[in-house]
Amino acid sequence: MSASNLGLLILKERISATRMMVIWPLLAIFILFSSWGLSDPKANLPADIVVDSAYDVMFTSTAFIIFSATLGAVLISFDGISRDRISGVLEVKLSQPMKRSTYARALVLGHWGAIFVPVTILNIMSLIVIWYRMGELPTIEEVFIHTLGTALLLLWYTTIQLLSSSLAKDMGSSIAIGIGAWMLFTLLWLIITTVVAGLSGIGVENLDSPEYVRIEGIMDLFSPNGVYHHLLEMPLDDIDRGISPLAIATSAIAWSLIPLQLFIMRIERLKP
Amino acid sequence: MEPLLKLTNVTWRHKVRDFSSWKPWAKKDGAGIYHVDLEINPGTILGLVGPNGAGKTTLIRSICGLYACEGFDKSENYRRRFVGYMPEQVRWEGRLSVKDAISSIAEMRSSYVDVDKLIDTVGLSSRSDDILDNLSQGMRQRMSLACALMGSPEIIVMDEPLNGLDPLAQRAFTNLMRQLSSKGIAIVISSHQVSDLEALADKIALLHHGQVLIDGTLEHIRGKLRLDSNSDIVEMICAVTGIQPDEISLDIARDSIMPLRKPGGEEE
Repeated sequence: MSASNLGLLILKERISATRMMVIWPLLAIFILFSSWGLSDPKANLPADIVVDSAYDVMFTSTAFIIFSATLGAVLISFDGISRDRISGVLEVKLSQPMKRSTYARALVLGHWGAIFVPVTILNIMSLIVIWYRMGELPTIEEVFIHTLGTALLLLWYTTIQLLSSSLAKDMGSSIAIGIGAWMLFTLLWLIITTVVAGLSGIGVENLDSPEYVRIEGIMDLFSPNGVYHHLLEMPLDDIDRGISPLAIATSAIAWSLIPLQLFIMRIERLKP
Repeated sequence: MEPLLKLTNVTWRHKVRDFSSWKPWAKKDGAGIYHVDLEINPGTILGLVGPNGAGKTTLIRSICGLYACEGFDKSENYRRRFVGYMPEQVRWEGRLSVKDAISSIAEMRSSYVDVDKLIDTVGLSSRSDDILDNLSQGMRQRMSLACALMGSPEIIVMDEPLNGLDPLAQRAFTNLMRQLSSKGIAIVISSHQVSDLEALADKIALLHHGQVLIDGTLEHIRGKLRLDSNSDIVEMICAVTGIQPDEISLDIARDSIMPLRKPGGEEE
């Protein structure tokens, strides 16, 4: 009666779901094709983006991971609770003697694994692409930070989606909450950052100004995507947004623990 | 005979949205069960009978430990361990096989569960590798039954298990329930038809508006209410509440038909 055993069974069920036929190609196009394009020595990237090392390719391609893998996490988890609730299976599950907190952890583990496994497989394949195109590989430390950051990002999105799914009582609300949260952090956060900067008296006409870069760095601590980028920027010497590693680590821990704890509390009080 | 489970004054009210308040999160007490006293004895089949909204499912969920309410002589954890629960018409779906789906539920129990034996008991051994999406409603009912039988339960609680089953499958279910009760397992089964339980239940509890109006053997109930042997649930409710059968309208669901007692005992 452990969370890991049940989590593996949930992972098996989720990874064999029909929706993976959409998610796999989506991830493959975004992750592999971005690595292929960005590792092209002749690539001319916009906004003065310079890609001259294997890790630079990995770092820049995370923009595509943020877009596709987090959407994959949403698509896998948005009905993690609501589907069982609607079908009546949740009643069967909650009437079992397993502690509800253990069940909640198993749900997170299973759903997170179902998106982390394909993303990691494709990330490994993208390393081969980078090596083929550039003749070099990132260091072990860089690969570790990239994998850890991606694992955490997917964990945060999975937990937020499962929490949303536990709040929704029908599939429509579940999708709306899921896509809404994804859009907030993926597309709308830039607008929120700009508004906050404007309200703080920082000019938003020059997004490269040190004041704007700093407030953007602070605002990023409140977004899973932002914390992900902070983590990935750690090995890069030429990027410094004035945010201490302690603040980044604290934010990463908070994003890992707070939604998880809220989800566990929600499952403990959930009525079928 | 020592009861397996004793319910004394069990009360539970659902929280429903309070539209009279400007607060969107405001909730008030809704329907539920009130002051339920029951004993569940080993080897007996107890039928919970009542119209829609009588509180049968709420009572059943309380017995299974899904609602945290007081008044039971056994703890919630104990009930979740030793009460097997078969909810009404569970729609098992997905691309998991029957065996994997049952295994994942078995993983939620502390004791070892022989999944193959369980699948064999409910007659799904030839379909154990089929995916859930390909099962008929009858097969899905069997899946739910398999989950209820996990971990050698002392009590099996079934919420309208005969709904959606063809007569042959209904008979198979009835036979299985009799076999289980002959082994000393107590069975609680709900239905809104007395005829479903007539030949099966040893005892009946008649529920209406969340209250047990009367309980005992069918003969005892009919004798006490002075009803003939063909009387059904409508006549029983009418006999208890004093309403004439001709006066019954859709208003029967209205709370004003009969007084409800609040948890404190005063009338509402």
